[in-house]
Amino acid sequence: MVNPVLLIVVPLGFAFLIPILSLLSKKAAKYIPPIPLCFNIVVSLLLLPRALENPVVVSIGGWQPAFSINLVAGPVGILLSAVVAFVGLLVSIYAVDYIREGATDRYHMLFLLLLTGATGVVLTGDIFNLFVFFEILCISSYALVAYAGDKAGIESAVKYLIQGAVGSSLLLIGIGLLYGLFGTLNMADIAKALQSPSSLPVFVPMALIISGLGVEAAIFPLNGWLPDAHSSAPSPVSAILSGIAIEVGLYAIARVVFTIFGLSIDSTSNFLMFLAVLGILTLLVGEMCALGQNNIKRMLAYSSIGQMGLILFALAMASSYAVVGGLFQLVSHTLAKALLFLTVGYMTYRTHSLDVSALAGIGKRMPITSLAFTIGAFSLIGLPPFAGFPSKLLIVRAALATKECLFFVLIGGALLGTVIEAAYFFRIVQVLYFKDGNTNIARKQVPAVALIPIVIFVILIVGIGIYPKFITGLLSSAAAELLNRVDYIRNVLG
Amino acid sequence: MRKIISVLLLSIVAVGIYLSVSHIPFGAPKTKVGGHYVEQGMEETGAANMVTSVVVIYRGFDTLGEVTVLFIAAVGLAAVLGIAGQQGFPREPASFVLRNACVVIFPLILLCGTYIFAHGHLTPGGGFQGGVVIASAFVLSYLGGRERRISKRLFGSVESLAGLVFVTTGLIGLAVGGYFLSRILPNGRPYSLLSAGIIPIIYIAIGFKVGSELAGIIDNLIEETK
Repeated sequence: MVNPVLLIVVPLGFAFLIPILSLLSKKAAKYIPPIPLCFNIVVSLLLLPRALENPVVVSIGGWQPAFSINLVAGPVGILLSAVVAFVGLLVSIYAVDYIREGATDRYHMLFLLLLTGATGVVLTGDIFNLFVFFEILCISSYALVAYAGDKAGIESAVKYLIQGAVGSSLLLIGIGLLYGLFGTLNMADIAKALQSPSSLPVFVPMALIISGLGVEAAIFPLNGWLPDAHSSAPSPVSAILSGIAIEVGLYAIARVVFTIFGLSIDSTSNFLMFLAVLGILTLLVGEMCALGQNNIKRMLAYSSIGQMGLILFALAMASSYAVVGGLFQLVSHTLAKALLFLTVGYMTYRTHSLDVSALAGIGKRMPITSLAFTIGAFSLIGLPPFAGFPSKLLIVRAALATKECLFFVLIGGALLGTVIEAAYFFRIVQVLYFKDGNTNIARKQVPAVALIPIVIFVILIVGIGIYPKFITGLLSSAAAELLNRVDYIRNVLG
Repeated sequence: MRKIISVLLLSIVAVGIYLSVSHIPFGAPKTKVGGHYVEQGMEETGAANMVTSVVVIYRGFDTLGEVTVLFIAAVGLAAVLGIAGQQGFPREPASFVLRNACVVIFPLILLCGTYIFAHGHLTPGGGFQGGVVIASAFVLSYLGGRERRISKRLFGSVESLAGLVFVTTGLIGLAVGGYFLSRILPNGRPYSLLSAGIIPIIYIAIGFKVGSELAGIIDNLIEETK
C-alpha cells in the first residue's frame, strides 16, 4: 500500500541530502531534484485509481483525525500533486543546463523544497498544516526570486517578502480565530462544526484567510509583488512560480471556501459573487497591463495575473461544470505558462535583452523554440487545437448555463480579456517571425537537455487540446470532490 | 490622506477581529482537541511535558515543516548572500577578558543547550530552545575569537544529517507502524530520561539542526558586514 505522505517526505529527504552529496561532488546537486520528482509522479499515478474511488485519508502518527494531522489524497490532491511533480520534473531537467551561476546546490535545494511545500498544501487536511506548507512554499520562493543576486532580483524579492509576510500573518490570525471558535484545526472537523458562513464571527476569519491566501494567488488588488518577482527571477523559477505557486494559492482558496466555509451558489451569501467579480477584475487589470509591456517576462507575468483571475471566476461560479472548467484552465495555464517562460529563458539568453523588440527575427534563428513559444501563446489565448481552447470553452459554457445576468456580463469581460490577450501575444509572434532583426545572433538551438522538456510540454498541450477527454474524467471527479463538502467530512471523520 | 486611510483600514480589521474574538469562550473548559491532549497526553505519549507531546507527537508533521522553514531561511540567506559574500574586514581583536571568558563559558553554554533539548520531554524547553542556546554559544565564540571561523561544511552536514534523522525516524515509523512518525519505541516510565518513545530522538535532531542553522545564519551575516 502506497502512503500519500511519501509524496511530501521523500522530496524533503532528498532536499536535506543535497548538502551532503555536494560535499562529495559539486556537480551532483543538479541531478538530484529529478529523482524524487519522478518518484512523486509514480506514486501519484499509483494512488490515482484508489483516490478516484474514495479519497485516501491517512493520519500522521496514527491518531484519529482531529487529534493529529491527516492528509487527504482525493482526486484534486492527486491531480495537483501529479501536476506539481510533472511540471517540476520538466523544469528541473531544464535547469540542469540553465542554472550555472551562483550557489547552484542551494538553488536546487530551494527548488525541491518549493515543490515539497506545494505538494503539502494540496494534500493536507489540516488548516494549520496548510499554513506550514504554505510558508515552505512562500519562503523558498522569496529566496529563489533573489537567487540571481542582482539589484532587480533583490528588490523584487524584498517587495514579495513584505507583501507575502503580511498575507501570511493575516492567514495565521484567521486560523487562530477559527481554532478559538471551534477548538480544532482539522478542516473536516471545522466544517462539521461550522453552521453558517455569513455570521460575523465566522466571516471575519474567512475574510482574513482569503486575503492572506489571495496575496500568493495574485488576486487583484493583492498582486503588486507579482510582475516584479516573476520577471526578475531566473526563468525556470519564473516558470515554477507562474505555473505552480500561484495555482496552489488559488487551490487553497477554493478548498477553504468550499470545504471549510461551505459556500455554495444557492446559499444566501453573496461572497462567491464578490469573488467572481474580483476574478474578472483581476483578469482585466492583468491583461490591460500586459498589453502595455515591452519587457517580455513582465508581459508573461501580467498575463499570469489575468489567467488567475479567469480561474478564480470559474471557481467562484461553483457549479460542477464551472469548477471543471476552472481546474482545466488551471492545468492548461500551468503547462502553457511554464512552456512560455522556459522558451523565453533561452531566447533572452541569446539576445541579452528582455525587450520584445530585441526578439525580432528570432523565429529564423531558433525555429523550434519559437514554434514552441507560439504554441504556448496560442494555447493561452484559447485557440484550437491547443489545451487552452477546451478549458476556456468549458468556462464560457458554464457561465451561460448559470442563467444569471451577472455571470453573462462577467463572461463578456472575460472574452474582452481574451481579445486583449490575443492582441499582445500576436504582436510577439509577429515580431518573432515577420520582423528582420539582429543578424548577429548565431543560428543555434537550445541545448538538448532544455529542448526535451520544451518538446514534452508542446506534445501535452497539443495532445490535451485534440483529445480533452484524456483529462476531463479526472477533472470532473476532482471538481465533484471539491464541491461535495458532506462527502469530504464523512470520508475524513468516518 | 494616506495616514487617515491606513488608520481607517486598520481599525476596520481591528473591530472585525475584536468581534470575532469576543465570541471565543476564553476560560471555558477546554475544547475537544485541547482537552484530549491535556487529559490523555501523558498516558498516550509518555511525555511529562505536555507541550512537547503536542509539538512532537500529535503535531509532529507541523514541526517537521517548521524545521524545514528554518532550513529554507538559512539556505536562502546563504544563497543570496553567498554570491556577494567576500571575506573579511579588519577586525579589532577581542579584549583579554572577553577572550578568556569565552573559553570558560562556551562549553558551559553548550552543555546548557544540550540539557535543554535532551530533557525536552521532561522539562520546559526542547529542540528549538536548546538549539538557540547552542547557537548563542557560537555567537559568543565569534565575539571572543574574532579571527576564528566555524567550518561551513561541518555545519552544513550536521544540519542535513539532523534533518535526515527526523525524516528517517518518521519513515521507519511508516514501515513498522503503518503511519508516518508513529511511535516505534515504548513510552517507558514517565518522568525518566529514557521515556516518551521517539521524542528524545527527534528533539536531539532538532537541537542539532536549529543550533547549526542559526550559527550558520549568523556566520553568513558576519561575512556581509563591511
